[in-house]
Formats: sequence, C-alpha cells, structure tokens
Amino acid sequence: MPIKRVGLIGGGTMGRGIAQTVAAKGIDVYLVEISQEALDQAIKGIAQNIDAEIAKWGMTEGDKRAILARIHGTIKLDELKRRKVDLIIESVPEEISIKKKVLEEIDKFFAQDILFITNTATLSITEIAADLKRKERLIGMHFLNPVPKTALVEIVRGLSTSDRAFEEAKNFAQEIGKTPVEVFEYPGYITSRVIVPFLNEAMYVLMEGVASAEDIDTAMRLGFNFGIGPLTLIDQIGLDELLLWMESLFRELGDLKYRPCPLLRKLVRAGYLGKKSGKGIFTYDEHGHKIQDKPSVLIKH
Amino acid sequence: MKIMVLNCGSSSVKYQLIDSDQENALAKGVVERIGMSGASLKQSRFDGDKLHYVGEILDHTMAIENVLAVLMSRNHGVIKDKNEIDAVGHRVVHGGEKFEASVLITREVMDIIKDCIDLAPLHNPHNIKGIQAAQRLLPDAPQVAVFDTAFHQNMPQHAYMYALPYSLYRKYTIRRYGFHGTSHRYVSHIAAEMMGKPYSKLRIITVHLGNGCSMAAIKDGYSIDTSMGFTPVEGLVMGTRSGDIDPAIILHIMGQEELTLAQANTLLNKHSGLWGISGISSDAREIIEEAGNGNKRAQLALDVMTYRIKKYIGAYTAAMGGLDVLVFTAGIGENSPVVREMACKGLELMGLKIDPVKNKQAIKTRMEISKEDSKAKVLVIPTNEELVIARDTRDIVLGTKPD
Repeated sequence: MPIKRVGLIGGGTMGRGIAQTVAAKGIDVYLVEISQEALDQAIKGIAQNIDAEIAKWGMTEGDKRAILARIHGTIKLDELKRRKVDLIIESVPEEISIKKKVLEEIDKFFAQDILFITNTATLSITEIAADLKRKERLIGMHFLNPVPKTALVEIVRGLSTSDRAFEEAKNFAQEIGKTPVEVFEYPGYITSRVIVPFLNEAMYVLMEGVASAEDIDTAMRLGFNFGIGPLTLIDQIGLDELLLWMESLFRELGDLKYRPCPLLRKLVRAGYLGKKSGKGIFTYDEHGHKIQDKPSVLIKH
Repeated sequence: MKIMVLNCGSSSVKYQLIDSDQENALAKGVVERIGMSGASLKQSRFDGDKLHYVGEILDHTMAIENVLAVLMSRNHGVIKDKNEIDAVGHRVVHGGEKFEASVLITREVMDIIKDCIDLAPLHNPHNIKGIQAAQRLLPDAPQVAVFDTAFHQNMPQHAYMYALPYSLYRKYTIRRYGFHGTSHRYVSHIAAEMMGKPYSKLRIITVHLGNGCSMAAIKDGYSIDTSMGFTPVEGLVMGTRSGDIDPAIILHIMGQEELTLAQANTLLNKHSGLWGISGISSDAREIIEEAGNGNKRAQLALDVMTYRIKKYIGAYTAAMGGLDVLVFTAGIGENSPVVREMACKGLELMGLKIDPVKNKQAIKTRMEISKEDSKAKVLVIPTNEELVIARDTRDIVLGTKPD
C-alpha cells in the first residue's frame, strides 16, 4: 500500500528537508509546528532551499509549485488525525523529554495502527518508546543533512520495534528515494559512530602540530577521494555538535578512544562553533563562504 | 472494431476509444495525479459531452478501471459492456533494438520491454504498469505495443553509431534510437498520399515540433536518420531541452558549478532550449509574440531554434541525395507559419520555396504550402499518433500486416 499522506511534526532544519523530500515524491505532507510564526518560517525555509536548487538548475519553478502545494501547514496536532495520515514522523528538537511527550500524545489520540517514525541521530529508540502503548510501532529514521540530497537513511530498530514496522519503514524510505540501512540500536548507529572519532582524530592531528589545517583537509580529500576535508566538515557540522557527540559516545561506551580532543573543547568554549558562528577551524564571510587560507586565530602554527 | 489506445505516464493515463472502421475517436480523456490526492479524470466525448471527475485513484489499475466505468456509464459513456472493446493498443516509448514494428504483447514481448527499462527508466516502467493493468481488466482483449523507437530501427549503422568506444555499444547498447517514430511514420505516409507517389520512391524530411522536437530523413520508405538519439535530448532546440551541444560543455559546467548528476540532467532537460535562452517561456507561441514585441532574447531563442532545423534540412537532404517533400507537424509545426518560414528561408537554391500566403493559411490543417515552382514540396500535416496505434492494433489483431 503506497503512502499517500504523511504527518510531520517539527519544521526545523531536518523537518524542512524531510518535508521537501517527501512532497517531491508526490506525497502530501501535513506539517505541524508549535506556532503560526514557526510554521511560516518553516515553509519559507523550504521555499528558499528549493530556490537555491533552482539556481543550480536542479529543479524548476514548476517543481517548486508542486512541492509547496503538497506541504500543508497546521499548528494543531489533532489535524493529523482528521487528515487520516498514513504515518507520522516526528522531527522535534533532539531532546528525549520533548520527543516522548509528542509521541505519547499522538499515541493517545490516534486510533489507527499507524507507524511512528522518530527522526533522531542520538537518542535511544527503546527509551523514547518506553511509555508508549504501541511500542512495537515506533522506529527510528536517521536522515542526514541536507535531507533532499543525501541518499542514505539509517533505520533504527529499538528493542521492541516489530519486524512489520521495520518493513514498512524500509518501504517508505525506498518510496521517497532513499537507500535504507538497517541498524540495531546502539550509540552512534553506523554513520556517527564511524565519522565522529575520525573527525576527532583530525582535531588531534591539528592540535599536535602534525600538519596545517589546510593540508590535513587536502590530504584526506585527495588521498581518499572525499568530497570534503574532515576539518571543513567539522565546521559545517558545528564544533559544539561534534563535542556533544564525543561526550555522548564516551559516556555511553566508556572507551578512551572516544575522549574529545582538548582543542575541540577549547574552541567550543571560545565560541568558535564553525560555519554557523563565522569561525571555527576556518573563518567564514557573512555568506558562509570560507575565507581561503585563513585558519582562525586560536590555531597557531 | 473498437480499440482502446493507452499512453501511460508516471502519474497519468491518456486514453482514446477509437472506432477503427470510421477512424474516429468515440471518447478521449486523461487521468491525472494517479496515487496523489486530487486525482482526476477528464473526458470529452465525440458529441461534445464533457466529464471532469475528482476522486481517489491510487494506481494505474484503478485509473483504467475508472476509465472503463466512465466509458460504460449511462450518461457519459460510449459502450455498454467492456467486452465491446476489441483490443488495446499501448504506446511504449522504448523498444530497444528488438522491435522494428508494432507487436502483439505476449509474455516474451513483456520480458523484452522490461529489459528496455534501463534505456528509458522514466517511461517504460509506467508503460509496463499500464499494460499489466489493462491485461488484468480486459483479459479477453488482445494487447498491442506500438513503440516510439520502432520506425527508426532500420537506420543504417553509420547513422546510429556514436564515435565512442565500441565496447559501450556492446555493453549498454549506446546508440541512436530516435523517438516520435509513430508521428514521423504517419505524416510521411500522408505526405506520399498527397504527392500521389509511392511511399517507397520518395525522399521525405519530417519535422515534428511539439513539446519535444525531432526530425527524420525518410528515404524509399525507411527512416534512415533522425535527430533524437540515445535519449530525447539530442537534436533540435526544444521547449526546455538543449538539443545538440558540445558534450564537453556539460563536463565543464559540472566541474565549474560542482553540479551533481541530477542537477546536470535537469539543466539539460528542464532549464535549456527556448526557456533557457529566452528566460521568458518554453512555449513557442509566447516566444514568437515576445520576439514580435522586440524582445531580443526571445528573438535569439527563435533564431537558434529555426537555424538548427535548417541545418538538419540541409544535412538530411545531403544524406538522401536530394529532397522531394518536407513535412511540418505537431503543435508548433502545425500552427506556426513564422517557424516554418524561418526554417526554410535561404533554402531556395536547394529547390525549396515556401508560398507566404499559403503558409499563413495553413493552421492545424493538411495543406501544401510551397510555391508552384518549388522543386521540393512543403506540406503541413497534423499528426495523429493515436490513430496509428489504433490502426496497428487492428491490423495485428486481424492478422493483417501493418504498413
């Protein structure tokens, strides 16, 4: 049974990306935000993302109209019930109490046996599901930013997620053009678990004065055909995000190999958060373009 | 015979129910937004009756079910029972190298059409869905596939090979296929009739200018070359497609702008052509109007488009060793005297002279528009692909060979 209507809660960066991706496949999206203002902001953001893609010839004005026509905003959660959505994705802030609250509320008023998808990169599906009536219907989907352009989605099974829920999530992922991989809940899943220590290691190489920031990036980019160097990637992700990640892995797994690099900690304390704050490992102009050959002042070699 | 003609796209089904004895459409219509909210069915009947219905239509099977229900309905219908439909003719975009004519759909034929999915990933899967749905709903009606590529399958090898490593041809059958075959075939036959000469003894150039645009060189009854190639992007300037470009340009732009494959694909297919040059519209009518108002880029778009057609007329005349008839067809070809005039201007030396008065009169009608003393004749012939599909279907079902 193809999915025709999707309920989506939360129109932040990830929510916008998911809304655009789903709507582009001809599926109607009912997007719930907390206020009219936040909702307008989310829709505007989606339109801007599409405009950027049109400027790169990747889409047309016609595509934009079609996508926006399929994204229906609302500030009422129970609207999703009235619209008879086929599944619900929650993409509210990455905080367990908020996610639990939203999902428990839906769990209460939704009579149908629909699939609950939680979009999370870090949280435990098992923990989010703890107080749900229908634990077996909750599954995690870890979309990666930017959602419309990243072909991968990690489908994360909690302890009580049913096989049927997994099959449905897998089919949905394929329907919206993503390649799913099956992950059994564990800190960091696949993507973060592998990339985060790698990025942390690049910070160590920088801190220990082994090479300049540019050369570290150049070496990894050209040496292994990566599209982007690790330090530039850290700036894009946000140094604070990376630090949170390292701390979380360190806490959860207790292994020294997840110890955050001290330079990372220092830069975060100094407010050097990456592209979003104009400076991280490199510095950026007001349009977010890297100012070439200019590592930030805290890095001296 | 009553023949249902189906053209199934990703989320649409176009259909006609044609009486092949009278050669007229009893009803024609389209189902749109299949699988989405607000799916609709529009139909117009031969007597002018119109129907527009919005409802839940989840897939191609439901779409065709709805079409059958409308065709049989008391108020808007044209038949009483679905058994009155004697056969179904399907437009299938890509027949690869396997089909040089229309064919009765058997299990083996379906397998080959499926094998061609790699060549037409955007079209063949939906054509297949349509065939499967029609087979389920009309199990007693024979089904026939009519391919866009079939008419061009007799091209000589030197016309269809690209000068790329031969291994690519062996591995992926990278070659020129050409499209719009049904239209080129139909109008070239009518042209022979209008000339009163045998089809097998003429050198014909057909210019199909619609949403997509292509030309064919038809010599002694066979298409010996055509402007669309491995995909419908090659050849003429179209509404939003580039047509011929230096292939290295796209590599250069992909590097400069860091484009992904998908972006490069949309660039060539959706942001180029008349729309790309003019920045105003992909619709030739608007381009002509704006050019008339003095818009320079609209004029440029028109110039580039018609110059390309002219080059192909010259090339195909050379390929055939002369020219007897030039035919314009499809939306722009049937309706735009300006485009026809610009494309033929300066070809008088080749024996091609357009009569400006006749040219202006020929709108959506079958008509000769060349001067008396023009060595090669110029014709305007409205195309009718559905009729060709219906005729082929009839001929195959009756066991007579289609032309």
